[in-house]
Formats: sequence, C-alpha cells, structure tokens
Amino acid sequence: MFLLEELSQKYKTISIVGMAKNAGKTTALNYLIEEAMDEGIVLGITSTGRDGESTDLVTGTDKPRVFLDTDTIVSVPTQLYELADAGLEILKMTEYNSSIGQIMLCRVASSGYVQIAGPVINASHQKMCEEMLELGAELVLIDGAIDRKSIAAPGTSDAIILSTGAVLSRSMKKVIEETAHTVGLYRLPCLEDGKDKDIIIEHLGEERPMIVGDGDVRILDITTGLGAGKFLDGQINESTEYIYVPGAFTQSVVADINPRKLKKITFVLKDPTKIFIDSVSWGQLRKKGLTVKVLENINVAAITVNPSAPGGYAFEHEDLLRGMQEAIPDIPVIDVML
Amino acid sequence: MAIVKQRLTNLKTRKETGLDFVVSAINLQTPFGVKQIKEKEPFFPGQEEALKEELMRIQKMMDIANASPKEIGLLLETFMVVKDNTFSIERAGTSVLSVVEIFELKSLLLQMEKIKNLAEKLSFPKEFVPEDTEALLDVLDPGGDRLNTFYIYDSFSEKLGNLRREKKEKDREIRKQQKVGKELVKQKYGLSLTPKFEMVVSKSDQNSIKMIDEISEMTRTDEDYMSVTFSLTPTEEVEKLMKECDGLMSMIEDEELNVREMLSKEISKYEAVLLENCHRIGELDITLSKALYAEKHNCVMPEITTEHILEFEDGRNLQLEEALRARKGGEYCPVSMALTDGVTCITGANMGGKTISLKLAGMVAILAQYGFFVPCKKARVGLSNYMQILIGDSQSIERGLSSFGSEMEELKEILDNSKDRSLLLIDEIASGTNPAEGLALTRSLVDHLKTRPYITLMTTHFETVKGDKDVKNLQVMGLAGADFDKLDKELRYAKRIERINIISKYMDYRLTVVDDAAEIPKDALNIAKMLGIDKGIIERAKDYIK
Repeated sequence: MFLLEELSQKYKTISIVGMAKNAGKTTALNYLIEEAMDEGIVLGITSTGRDGESTDLVTGTDKPRVFLDTDTIVSVPTQLYELADAGLEILKMTEYNSSIGQIMLCRVASSGYVQIAGPVINASHQKMCEEMLELGAELVLIDGAIDRKSIAAPGTSDAIILSTGAVLSRSMKKVIEETAHTVGLYRLPCLEDGKDKDIIIEHLGEERPMIVGDGDVRILDITTGLGAGKFLDGQINESTEYIYVPGAFTQSVVADINPRKLKKITFVLKDPTKIFIDSVSWGQLRKKGLTVKVLENINVAAITVNPSAPGGYAFEHEDLLRGMQEAIPDIPVIDVML
Repeated sequence: MAIVKQRLTNLKTRKETGLDFVVSAINLQTPFGVKQIKEKEPFFPGQEEALKEELMRIQKMMDIANASPKEIGLLLETFMVVKDNTFSIERAGTSVLSVVEIFELKSLLLQMEKIKNLAEKLSFPKEFVPEDTEALLDVLDPGGDRLNTFYIYDSFSEKLGNLRREKKEKDREIRKQQKVGKELVKQKYGLSLTPKFEMVVSKSDQNSIKMIDEISEMTRTDEDYMSVTFSLTPTEEVEKLMKECDGLMSMIEDEELNVREMLSKEISKYEAVLLENCHRIGELDITLSKALYAEKHNCVMPEITTEHILEFEDGRNLQLEEALRARKGGEYCPVSMALTDGVTCITGANMGGKTISLKLAGMVAILAQYGFFVPCKKARVGLSNYMQILIGDSQSIERGLSSFGSEMEELKEILDNSKDRSLLLIDEIASGTNPAEGLALTRSLVDHLKTRPYITLMTTHFETVKGDKDVKNLQVMGLAGADFDKLDKELRYAKRIERINIISKYMDYRLTVVDDAAEIPKDALNIAKMLGIDKGIIERAKDYIK
C-alpha cells in the first residue's frame, strides 16, 4: 500500500496528533518517514508547540530524534544545528523564534538523525509550512506536541493523522470507543452555506454567542457559553434556528436548556476541537436531541494504533487493528508496531 | 592631560524637549544604526560647517528618496533583514566559526552587496557606500550561484568530497547487503523488517521474543518498557564496512573542521573592511531615516548661524502634534519665536500652551544641534554650549523632594554650569511658594540672567516683566480674539468634560511681542467662569483686583 503517495496527492500538510501521551506519536512519525523513504517522496518535517526545556536537550527523550533521508526539508533551531548527526544545508533563516534559537529551514545533504523543532505559534507554523513546500517538499508532516489536541484545529494543516493506543485505557473496547468518539467529533458536519452561515461569519470577530434564525442575528452580551445554559434558554424563541458558541463547548452550555427547545435548534461551533464532552455524555445528549455543526471540520487522513501501553499491558495487535477498523471503516488504520 | 568631554545637556532635557521622542520615532532599521545613533555627539559652536554638511547630506537623501522611491523601498527591505554579526566577525581571527555563523555572515555579505549596488545606482555619497567584498563572497560561495544558503559543500575541499563519496558508496554497499539479509530472514523465518532493518516486538508477545532471540541473523539492539527492538545481525563483511564508515565519518568531521577553520581565517582577513561596511550601513540608515522622517513630518533644514540666536516660524511640537493627530479633529496651532541673548518671558492666559511653546523652543534648538531637520516653516539657529530645561516633573515627587526643593536644586545646577552661549528654558519657577517671595526670587533671577550671554526663555506671570525694559515679553494671544458669544453658547450646552476641549478650540496659542502693556490679562478669571465656577466668587475676585 502506498500510503504516503496517496496522502501526498490529497493533502499538502498533515499534523500528527496524539490522543494521549505515549500513544505512539513519534513511532508513527518514524513509520511515516520510513514509508516516504521507500516510496521516494520528499518530506518536510517540522514540529509544533515544543517549548524546548533543557531537560529535553540533555536526555533527548521527549524531542523526537528522527532519521531523515537526503533531500528532506526540515526545521531546525540554531542551537540544535550542531547536534545533528545528518549533514544539513541551511536554506533559510526564518523569522520565527523558539527558546532554543531561531528556526532555520534546512535540506538534508547527507542522511542521519536530526532533532526537530518548530515555531510555537500556529499562525507562524502555517506560513512556515508553505515555505517548506516552496523549497520542494511534497508533503509536510507536523509533529504535534504531546497531549495537545488543539493543533488538530483546522488551519494548522490540511488533515491529521490520529495516534491512539492502549495507553488510553486497559479496556480495548474503551480505547476503540474513545477514538471513534474523537474521530466522530472531528468529522462533525459543517454548517451548510447560506444566509445564516454568512451572518455568523460576519460577526465571528466579536467572539460572542449569537442567536440566529430567519436571517436575523442577536449578539448576546456574554463572553462565553460556559455555565450560561439558563441564559441561553431564555434567549431561544420561535424563530431561533442556530446558536453560535465561541470558545469551549461543554455540558454546562447545554445543561439548562429546555429539552423541547434543544430538539429544535442547532449549535454551531468554530471547529470540533472546541468540544470538551466525553463519549458517554455525548451519546446521552445526542439522544436528547442535541445537534452540533461546525464552521470547519477536520480531515482525519489515517489512524495509527499502538497496542502496548507503558503501564505494562498490551492488546493483541490483530484484535485492536480489526476492532478499530470495524469501528471506523472508512479511514485507514495502521499498526505502527507491526 | 585628560580630555573632558563637553556635555551639552542632560537626560531630562533630552526627554522634555522631545529629542528622545524623535530619535525613537525616526524608526531605524538596522542594528548598526540603532547602536550608532546612541553614540552620536551634538555639534558645538565652532563646528557649524560640519553640521551644515550633515544637514546637506540629509537634504540630498531627501531628494534621492523623492526621485527614486522604488529603490529606497528595496534598500529599506534589505535593511530590515540585516543582523548584527559583528561578534562573529571579530571572533573569526581567534576561533573557528560555526556553520550557522558562517551562514549568517554569507547572508550579511549578500546584503552588503545588494546595498552597495543600490547605493551606487542612486549615487549616494561615498561614505555611505559599502566597500567591495565580492572576493570574500567568492570564498564562501564556491559554486557562485549567490543563493542565500550554506553548507560545508564538497567544493570547499577536494579531500572532503572524496571522503564523502567514499562513505556514500560504503553506505550503499551496506544497505545492499542488508537488503539481502532482510530477504533471507523473510524467507527463512517469515519476519518482515522495517526499512531500517529492524523489528520491534511488543513485550506482551513473549513467544516471538523468545523465538527471535534464538535466530542468529537477528540481534537485540534496544529495549524499553514496552518493546524489544531487534536488528539484523551484521555479517562480517557488513561489520567491516560499518567500521570503515565510522572511520570515514570522523575523517569527514575533521575535514569539515579544517574547512571551517580555513573559512574563518579568510573572514578574519576582511575584518576591518567588514566592520567599516557595517558602520557605513549604520550611517546610511541614520541619515536616510532622518530624511524620511523630515519629509513625512514637514521638517525643514535649519539655517545655522554663527551668532547666538534661536528663530523659527510656525514651529510645531512634534510630540504634541502626534498626540493631537491620534485624537480626531485636533489641529496644531503653529507658534513663532525670535530669541537672542537676554531674557524673554512668555506670559498670558492659563491653558494658553506656554509650557508647550517653551518645550518647542528647546526642541528646535536641540534637534538642530544634533543634526536633525526641524519642525518649522523656517528656522535660524546659532549653536549653544549648554542647554538645559527647568521644569516640574513627577520625578521630584518620586525622590521625595518638595517641588520647590528640587526646583532650587536644579536651578543651582543650571547656574553653576551655564557658560557663554547657553540656552536656558525655565518653566514657572517658584510658583509653588508664596507669591511675594516667589515673585521677588523670579525678578532677581531675571536681573541676574539678563546681563549674561545666555538665551533665557521663561514662562511666568505678568508681574515679573512689568516695567522691565530689558526683558522681552511674549504674550499668548489667548482668548482675546475669540467670539465670546459663540463660545458661551457652545459651552452652555456642553457636557462638563467637553468644556476644556471647547475652550482649547477657541484658544489662539500664537505669541505676540508686547512692549509695554498696562493691562493685566484677565483670562484666568474668564476661564474659571467658563468652566462653571460660581458667579459670586468670580465677581468678588474682580473686586479684589481693583
């Protein structure tokens, strides 16, 4: 299977996002790099959200040290340049800074190990990925920071690869359920184009909840929907179709809304990473009639599974792979340990 | 004999006159410009010709900027990316530079070349054109493609190229043989290895671990809490190749160090030229920024005279002007002055901008003396040896001194340091003490100063100058020409906080020379009335004046 070839035709930038620490994100990254070597695809490699603590520099544990083939484009901070085992041709000094020096874009001139790091701010990241593509990368892989699902947010990259694994729970059923829940949220339907969507986008910058219906909008005088269930309930009337909620979307937003009203309306969020509701509660709310749409959803390009947990337990490779694939049939699932 | 550096002014005066404001507002782009402007000395009497040359350079730069805006834009863009690498340049003689440092120096050389080409195209004066460093660029860029990239390329050393090629061949050979091994393991045991010839087995799978442990073609190479990594056991041939590769690798590293050493030495040969170029870029940046600022803020070249005078027409305090511009509708009322040695007093209405006009005089004088254009229609400036402003500020309160105490302390400093050709700016002195003593002190200070070769400008009350023929009196026009009916009407319906703004609108801030005025301006009472002070109080005050 030519996974990378396929991905590089569909997407230009892919973030690797871990469901939890030790979900096998770095292993997944290494796996993809090896695949690219075999398929002859020029990769761009960068990472995000690293703050570059010195302990990392000493132990080299958390910062992924990856083996890169010649011609790969990679982002390296100045202070890590001399530590690279690979030969790196400096192509560009970027304007982005990290705590371990300014970020440079380099081309691997002779293959070897490199420690990677990238800018911390999402917006600069996007621009830097474009620069990497300009320099000849066919596909840019972004290694996300541990436990920071926020980098999955659309805008950071075209698609994500979700790394999940035994570390989530001792119960394989639970691992599959939680992963499927996350994927389900990421793929929530987008709000259909139309007058209502235009209105919401027009007032997006105000960062306030909005009540939308019949082509009309009321902007509420609260900054967050958190804990505002009762208030929102009072604002819903006959013509209300959508409620836009900026920021986090938790149970407290919907808790006090009259069930009859809840069935009638649709919540609209900026993107799926704003949802902080676990799979069980989500299921219950859905039964009560909760409908959520987003302005932008997230493409999940692939799922990687790691059947072993640092706690010492592990699932059967085949079982987990099969179970996951059955739960999420339309996304390729890869066991990175096999 | 130690040379005592002449000091024109102090930090407070630089700040209060707005020199510091302008220095930061000209928006220097290069690190060299930022560094060098801090070291700039003012021009002193006797250096008039040098100052005129400096001002002419700014004029010329303005003309060039107007004629070739596109090239100037390119120049500023290049300025923006220049980094201060002087430390690496200075270090190159004694130590070996890192790859990143050499890369940054190469970038700097490319930028210098760009600046040089633009400077030549625009026919800048010679002192702004970087010297040619192409020979050094050739050394750092053996391929000659002039791209802003760097690596210890093979072309730097024949030996390095050969070593790298040899290693690459050996690597390839190792890989080839490993691939054969990989196939063999697959056929014999059904194990599929990664492209790195490894296999990771989960610790939960003890059977496989036991099985693979017994295969001689595989070796445990790594183990952590969750898995064991097996690698293909290198054959004797592969092992030999790997050892050779290691040897080659350390030879490559040595040779790379040699190359860096060679490059560092070459760079150090150009140390003087490179540092001079950095300096020239800094000077160019300063002069260009001054010119662009002058153009944008309608500043003109002051005429520098040998006699000690300070004259300007329609001057604007740049700091206030900017603040007014930020508020909508605010417009600056320009002020003119002509000062010579002796005492000049600014008197007149409260809220009449006396202090701002005082600071403006300081701004024009200090900007000219530091080689800037001045915010007027026209100006004539004779250089001073000493310049100081005496003005109340929040600092004295922080220091715990009473306002009178700190004022006297500063006055003493000024009187002790004043010399021939001084410019003294004094704001409402002794206003904090009782009026009788305050007035007496002010009058005797005026008597002391009026005979000396200083230009003294004071804001004060009318009584100070009453009847003194030797003191020039500049009066704020104030509300004298205002349409009071209209003003009253506007005030009647205004909100309280708007009243002050409305009065400011009707205020004429211009100064007029008053030779002998019998009438005491009664603007204070007028303004108090307009701001809503009780009528009875105002009437009673008028009785007291009678």
